Amino acid sequence: MSTIPRIRVAEVHKRFGPLEVLRGVSFDVHRGHVVSVIGASGSGKSTLLRCVNYLERPNAGEIYLEGEPLGSRLDTSGRRRPRSLAEINRLRRELGVVFQQYNLWPHMTVLGNVVEAPIRVRKLPRSEAIAIGEECLRRVQLIDKASEYPARLSGGQQQRAAIARALAMRPKAMLFDEPTSSLDPELTDEVLGVMRELAADGTTMIVVTHEMAFAREVSDRVIFLHDCVIEEEGPPEVLFEAATSERLRKFLAKYRR
Amino acid sequence: MSNSLKQALDLSLFWEYRAILLQGLVVNALVFLCAALLALSAGLGAALLRVNRFFPTRLIGTLHVELFRNAPDYIMLVWVHFVLPLLIGIMIKRRVEFHPFVSAVIALGLVYSGYFAETFRAGIEAIPRGNLDAARGFGMSERLILWRIMLPQVVRRMLPEALNQFVSLFKATTIVSLIAVPDLMYAVSMVTQQEMRPLPLYTGAALTYFLIILIFATGVRAFSERWRRKILE
Repeated sequence: MSTIPRIRVAEVHKRFGPLEVLRGVSFDVHRGHVVSVIGASGSGKSTLLRCVNYLERPNAGEIYLEGEPLGSRLDTSGRRRPRSLAEINRLRRELGVVFQQYNLWPHMTVLGNVVEAPIRVRKLPRSEAIAIGEECLRRVQLIDKASEYPARLSGGQQQRAAIARALAMRPKAMLFDEPTSSLDPELTDEVLGVMRELAADGTTMIVVTHEMAFAREVSDRVIFLHDCVIEEEGPPEVLFEAATSERLRKFLAKYRR
Repeated sequence: MSNSLKQALDLSLFWEYRAILLQGLVVNALVFLCAALLALSAGLGAALLRVNRFFPTRLIGTLHVELFRNAPDYIMLVWVHFVLPLLIGIMIKRRVEFHPFVSAVIALGLVYSGYFAETFRAGIEAIPRGNLDAARGFGMSERLILWRIMLPQVVRRMLPEALNQFVSLFKATTIVSLIAVPDLMYAVSMVTQQEMRPLPLYTGAALTYFLIILIFATGVRAFSERWRRKILE
């Protein structure tokens, strides 16, 4: 394992006005690893994920992508300077995000959604972007819907399209923000199936989820967030079988019922 | 049928002068196109100011909207043509005069930019935030997000209301003869002075406007509905 983690979250604090959401959260995600973040609603899971790609700017702390800080850089005189939006954008494109609400662009076809960022942001030639896009759609088994508009797809299909869209950027890591929380149970499985395959292929992933069975099965590490901090973390077999925190045990008990 | 009504409905005189009248109608169309272009661009600018995070920019946007949306077309037209050149003249210490066509375009363009700004703003605010988050997440610049993600959705959402405003703007072009822009109404009054038979001429003009707007609006509506439905469930 390389010593520099793919993603390092270091002492991240985030507050919205008087409301504190994250209080010094730190963890590493190594290449090819899957880290799941679990916790009750309102425990700061989604905010944490949004901080990782700077959709929310942390109030303190830093995110490192392969050792490079996302929010600041050293200038020529060795002082730390906040990065401009353009610089943050350059680093952000290395992280693929999948949202709870899919957030496909409704005015573009499925393939249009998938090739948009590779063409406009990565500046790939159209033909190359389309080849990559089609390969990603095949991977999520959605190639037959390439020319449909998102409004005509089921929730599960939309979410798989959103995964293909993120994959097409060839990101260094994928961030999943409760990707199945808006789906009916029968549609959840098709999305989890795709994510299982990604994990098996060695994709680096951070997954915020309520799917405990999934977290247990695919994660290398699970983080339990409670009250703005990491209450407990560890390998899934330890966390799910031998939790030391009383709060985590109570939390997991709700899912066993 | 009374004689005067018969005379009013007899459009042969209108048809006789069709060449001159058509020229006037072309001027209406040109005023409409130029004013619509100005209204759309100034309206989009004002809308973007209004949804900005910073209060001073929001205030400028709001002032623009309130100033122009509440100004009557007629008064704006007179003001832009006669008063604005005087003001500019004093500022640059030189005599300034606007061509009537230019005044008409500026006046109508500004008034309707106030309306379009509000339509644009409603369209922008209706876009789900997550849609823009997704774009930001892929590292798209704000300019790219505006052109590729926001505007195409805004335009589709605002089309029905924008269409009503285009119709109002086209109707508003009938007042430009007031400052001697040679439009259809101007041509009608010229012919009236010669023929002294205003009723058939005005009836013909009314029918012409009515038919043009009906055909244009129905066509645009039919086309845009199919296009819109693709993205909106």
